[in-house]
Amino acid sequence: MTHFLKDLSRSRAGLFGFVLLVVIVALALLAPLLDLPDPTRGDLRARLAGPTWQGLFSPGAHPLGTDEVGRDILSRLIHGSRMTLMVASTAVVLGGIVGTVLGILAGYKGGFIDRLLMRLVDIQLAIPLMLLALLVVAALGPSIRNVVLVLALTSWIRYARIIRAQVLSLREREFVQSARAIGASTARIMFLHILPNVLTPALVVGTLELARVIIMDAALSFLGLGVQPPTPSWGRMLADGRVYLSSAWWTVTFPGLAIVLTVLSVNLFGDWLRDYFDPKTRSAK
Amino acid sequence: MTQPPVIEVNGLMRSYGGGRTLLGREKPVIHAINDVSFQIAEGETLGLVGESGSGKSTTGRAVLHLERPDAGSVRFRGTELSTLGQQGLKPYRKHMQMIFQDPYSALNPRMKVGRFVGEPLVVHGVDSGSSLQDRVAELFKLVGLDPSFMSRYPHEFSGGQRQRINIARAIALQPGFIVADEPITALDVSIQAQIVNLFQDLQDQLGLAYLFIAHDLSMVRYLCQRVAVMLRGRIVEMAPTEQIFADPRHPYTRSLLAAIPVPDPDRVRPDRPPFDVAANVPPREAPLIEVSPDHFVLDHQVQ
Repeated sequence: MTHFLKDLSRSRAGLFGFVLLVVIVALALLAPLLDLPDPTRGDLRARLAGPTWQGLFSPGAHPLGTDEVGRDILSRLIHGSRMTLMVASTAVVLGGIVGTVLGILAGYKGGFIDRLLMRLVDIQLAIPLMLLALLVVAALGPSIRNVVLVLALTSWIRYARIIRAQVLSLREREFVQSARAIGASTARIMFLHILPNVLTPALVVGTLELARVIIMDAALSFLGLGVQPPTPSWGRMLADGRVYLSSAWWTVTFPGLAIVLTVLSVNLFGDWLRDYFDPKTRSAK
Repeated sequence: MTQPPVIEVNGLMRSYGGGRTLLGREKPVIHAINDVSFQIAEGETLGLVGESGSGKSTTGRAVLHLERPDAGSVRFRGTELSTLGQQGLKPYRKHMQMIFQDPYSALNPRMKVGRFVGEPLVVHGVDSGSSLQDRVAELFKLVGLDPSFMSRYPHEFSGGQRQRINIARAIALQPGFIVADEPITALDVSIQAQIVNLFQDLQDQLGLAYLFIAHDLSMVRYLCQRVAVMLRGRIVEMAPTEQIFADPRHPYTRSLLAAIPVPDPDRVRPDRPPFDVAANVPPREAPLIEVSPDHFVLDHQVQ
């Protein structure tokens, strides 16, 4: 752990991403403990109030303004991050595990399993992801669990494709042959010799996917298929606020900014994490 | 030979290709190795030489059943291996190991080398815990490496050190037979001699038998008791080392011998016509004949 922090402090971008991510996650986790206005209760006398610093610490202040029914935007952002982060990270991890395992299986075993899995990927790639997501959510009904499933479903193919390609070249490497020569089982070869060598690409795909999934989740909410009102979510806020873009810029700017910052922090931190896990770059100081 | 051989190979075959493409066109069949037979005694080194693509490496892998031969038999200390399944082979894997050509790709870049060397002991349930650590440290010393290197990653080592790590892993289970697939080709000339000496020391200490694959004869001369020469998937000549250097019978063997560089700037290398492989493809059916005791030559161009 000390090594982790020491190494992290050496990378300015990595540290920035990490700190930003910690702040975002901490805000999300601590949201119920913060003294914020109720994110679901509107105040029609204060609808579409602009951001203001006046009376910042007085109750009833809206530092980032209010939306069209007078709900506090700051509070909705922080409460909304809980849902967005939980949905996105669960989907990415779920898709990542499934995609990586299937990618290794397809690449290492080859033959029928490989053909089956890759044709499945091809079929899914032929269907626009958004359409697929809409179909599934429409069929299963909009619930948080279904949104997670749909996002994971759109995510696993990217891992599977990239991991499989990596495994195809790893499989022919001599250390894999050497593992077979000592009589190591297939499971041992796949998890001890292949898996650690594909974690780097999996991690890179993961950070890209997290960014994509946050945006896709926002899009689903935007279309009314994600998190249901009145529960706040960033995509929902964008969707509801876009009508007022010309008159009340703060309704969309702040949720948009929140998405940008989250995606940025994940990418910066993920970039550093990739180097950290590579023994080659780790010791090259 | 008084003792039974550690490895006995008979009529080994391996071909690639065949079948049809998607459009129904026939794919050509390439016979990578064709009717290869040899024996290696306990503690003996057989050199296997030939140009790239002559089937040397395929032979090595087929003997260890890393690649299933199409036909032929491989006996390890009298046990037929070709009829065994993957599970059945596992106990024999303990006794037969392989050292690879490229010391860079032969090590798992994400595994500490100590763990890598000890892995065979774990896989076969021979050792674990602190006694495993002790055993790995011993192996490191045996191949001339500092045991404190155990917790490092492969990229921190030079080519020669990596090859020592590979050797340590290969001898971890105290095998009786090792296939060394061009183990020194990728190394600096100065390191090559060290590694060859290490092979020899280990043979003296542990009574190992080697199938030593190389593409030139110079190192083979110092290390091997017998030499087999391969061309296009067939053994064209096999004889004790002195015999093959003194009296090469096959034109390909002569060509290989003539190619050994002599470290003498004043000596003028005699002009010789390049050996035309295409015109000398060994026929598939020709038998090996014994021209003198233990000296076999393929019967198509004995001179």
